[in-house]
Amino acid sequence: MATRNRTILFRKYRDALKSVRVPASSSTHLATSKSSGGGPVIELVSTSLLQNRSYAPLSTEDPGNSSKGALTVGLPPAWVDVSEEIAANVQRARSKMTELAKAHAKALMPSFGDGKEDQRMIEALTHEITDLIRKSEKKLQRLSAAGPSEDSNVRKNVQRSLATDLQNLSMELRKKQSTYLKRLRQQKEGQDGVDLEMNLNGSRSSIDDETLDDMVFTERQMAKLKKSEAFTAEREREIQQVVESVNELAQIMKDLSVLVIDQGTIVDRIDYNIQNVATTVEEGLKQLQKIHGSPNIIASMVNPSEKNIAISD
Amino acid sequence: MVLVSAVRDYINRMLQDISGMKVLILDSQTVSIVSVVYSQSELLQKEVFLVELVDSISKSKESMSHLKAVYFLRPTPENIQHLRRQLANTRFGEYHLFFSNMLKDTQIHILADSDENEVVQQVQEFYADFIAVDPYHFTLNIPSNHIYMLPAVVDPSGLQHFSDRVVDGIAAVFLAMKRRPVIRYQRTSDIAKRIAQETAKLMYQQESGLFDFRRTEVSPLLLIVDRRDDPVTPLLNQWTYQAMVHELIGIQDNKVDLRSIGKFPKDQEEVVLSSEQDAFFKANMYENFGDIGMNIKRMVDEFQQVGKSNQNIQTIEDMAKFIDNYPEYRKMHGNVSKHVTLVTEMSKIVEERKLMLVSETEQELACNGGQVAAFEAVTNLLNNESVSDIDRLRLVMLYALRYEKESPVQLMQLFNKLASRSPKYKPGLVQFLLKQAGVDKRTGDLYGNRDLLNIARNMARGLKGVENVYIQHQPLLFQTMESIIKGRMRDVDYPFVGNHFQQGRPQDVVIFIVGGTTYEESRSVALQNASNSGIRFILGGSVVLNSKRFLKDLEEAQRIARSSTSVV
Repeated sequence: MATRNRTILFRKYRDALKSVRVPASSSTHLATSKSSGGGPVIELVSTSLLQNRSYAPLSTEDPGNSSKGALTVGLPPAWVDVSEEIAANVQRARSKMTELAKAHAKALMPSFGDGKEDQRMIEALTHEITDLIRKSEKKLQRLSAAGPSEDSNVRKNVQRSLATDLQNLSMELRKKQSTYLKRLRQQKEGQDGVDLEMNLNGSRSSIDDETLDDMVFTERQMAKLKKSEAFTAEREREIQQVVESVNELAQIMKDLSVLVIDQGTIVDRIDYNIQNVATTVEEGLKQLQKIHGSPNIIASMVNPSEKNIAISD
Repeated sequence: MVLVSAVRDYINRMLQDISGMKVLILDSQTVSIVSVVYSQSELLQKEVFLVELVDSISKSKESMSHLKAVYFLRPTPENIQHLRRQLANTRFGEYHLFFSNMLKDTQIHILADSDENEVVQQVQEFYADFIAVDPYHFTLNIPSNHIYMLPAVVDPSGLQHFSDRVVDGIAAVFLAMKRRPVIRYQRTSDIAKRIAQETAKLMYQQESGLFDFRRTEVSPLLLIVDRRDDPVTPLLNQWTYQAMVHELIGIQDNKVDLRSIGKFPKDQEEVVLSSEQDAFFKANMYENFGDIGMNIKRMVDEFQQVGKSNQNIQTIEDMAKFIDNYPEYRKMHGNVSKHVTLVTEMSKIVEERKLMLVSETEQELACNGGQVAAFEAVTNLLNNESVSDIDRLRLVMLYALRYEKESPVQLMQLFNKLASRSPKYKPGLVQFLLKQAGVDKRTGDLYGNRDLLNIARNMARGLKGVENVYIQHQPLLFQTMESIIKGRMRDVDYPFVGNHFQQGRPQDVVIFIVGGTTYEESRSVALQNASNSGIRFILGGSVVLNSKRFLKDLEEAQRIARSSTSVV
């Protein structure tokens, strides 16, 4: 695709025109945005500049104070710090996610140990990541702003962007978790080869054994029983973990779904957003307030009754 | 993909090298250009956290020096003035100026003069000056489109603006493709000739350096034709999805505003129909109404299956799977309701206006012979109380275009009947249409009854029996494309500009219809491109017409022609 750069020509003109103007002007324009204490003096100079010009500018507006400080990118408003914190959390969560992937892979590999160390590592990482996501999501709500000002539009958009990042993170975490669990399950079943809820009479024993040791647990059987108990307990814990994690992520997803833009819909249209910025900010706030307090998250998500949000109340 | 990806590439390049938080400032034209190819969420990914219109941004006084401003504007005098003021009252940290077309030196001068604070970092021309509604179809959304129907003396400056906008748009398409074409135009159209010559002047003289691209073996072809050579296509009712939605409801920049046809919940008032973003639409946009109904039903069934399994959550696994698939589910839900709503509403309109009945006659008028039967059919429909005014008007127009020379008495009868039955009818509109686009004015063989080959083709079609009586019609464009493919486009009908010359077939062809394109025609182009004939066609126009818009242009032109003393 062809383009044409006019910057050089532009600069040439700009420099040429600059030298035509009164030389005193160059010093005033180097001032950064200070308090209006220095204002009056500078303004006086610039108004006389306007009169000294050989050609009349089309706009006779007073250039105003803001132009003088616009040489450097100025200090952003306070809420930008919040958004940067969230962005940093997202980064951290991403790197933890890579660590988690490694930990998953390691745990799945055959090893001599009992794998408890790996398990702890995985648990810890998963908690950390979920924590980061949850904290970020709470911080996200602080970015909400009321009123149809330009700044609130920027805030809303930053919010949406971060919400999308967080949602993607939670989904990625979920996927990693479920793949890991699936593989783990496959492995465990493979190792023991047989259903662990075994026949206490020792179905694996030979026929001789059966007749001899009918009601008595052999040592072997005891060991196997203990192992299966431990395994069941572990399974229960895993399931408990999954349930907790699912619930947590469900809550987060729901909160985020208010803010995340549905791609391909009208709200994802730039021209629509230009017209409708003010209203969407308010709506988002209202919906966020409603969500916290909704008892049955999943049922309400299945039946989206209002807009693009599923709220049961 | 060509047109859409060209504009996307331009936008990507604008944003990629500017780090940090940005504000994107557009004008009322570039907002359409950008909105059809780029989404809000994509902008957010590029850290564009505010989008504003250049005329409304002046009103705010908030200083936002932590944002870098990216302007993407058409290089119009109004925009240059806006920029002047905004550069004098800088609010943002940096200013990056991108223009969708060529700047004049004086304009650069004015901007340089206003940039006292030296906030402008770059001034670039990025030639995304057209609205890429579909991969091979672009439009220019020219507001006073009707002016093409009037002779130059009526409003010379207005016509010059129109012509300039068209030339700018076409130039941008070729700059985006980095090609310079050989140019041909429809002989019988003054406006087509004018645009062809001005485009040639721009590309080969005024800015020949800019257009001097690496030459390929065969140059692409630019063909400028006039809407009035085929006035039938925009008048016909449509039965393929995209064309039908535009005809019955209206599509603007790939958006459908349902508010004009009823009350809908807030999140369904406006919907998006974009082949790039909606897989169902992409697969069905050229299908006919009956098939669409079936496909939508299938989609609804699938969706309900998913819904049922979602309600049947019993195990932990089910819960987990549901959470994983939730975003997909939501998207599916939105898409299903969108298409169901559209098809439902259109079915209602078809029923109310008895469009199947009307359309059958329309197709007969457009495709087959039999003046006597046609007259009878049209008369019956005019007498039918359920037929709406606009449909009556279209029927009489279609009849008049076909049988204007045969039986003038009967034609008069139809005019009178139309006037008496339709109180809002502007008298003389049909006659005005005939003056604009009657058989004496046309070049192409619109009814296939001039050219021996066409007569034979029509006969063959009639004998074969048409798949669906409602989509018999082929726009004239189809024949034009065929003649290009076969290398049989006659010089006498479509001469070359100046000393342009082309031996052999081109591989890339851009056809521009002055006065507007229709979705029926863009469908024809898309299907032709899919057939791998070795030639890639791109279609463009000043607007995208439906019958309502075409009639509005006609009425407006008639009104001006009447009030203007310089028109006979």
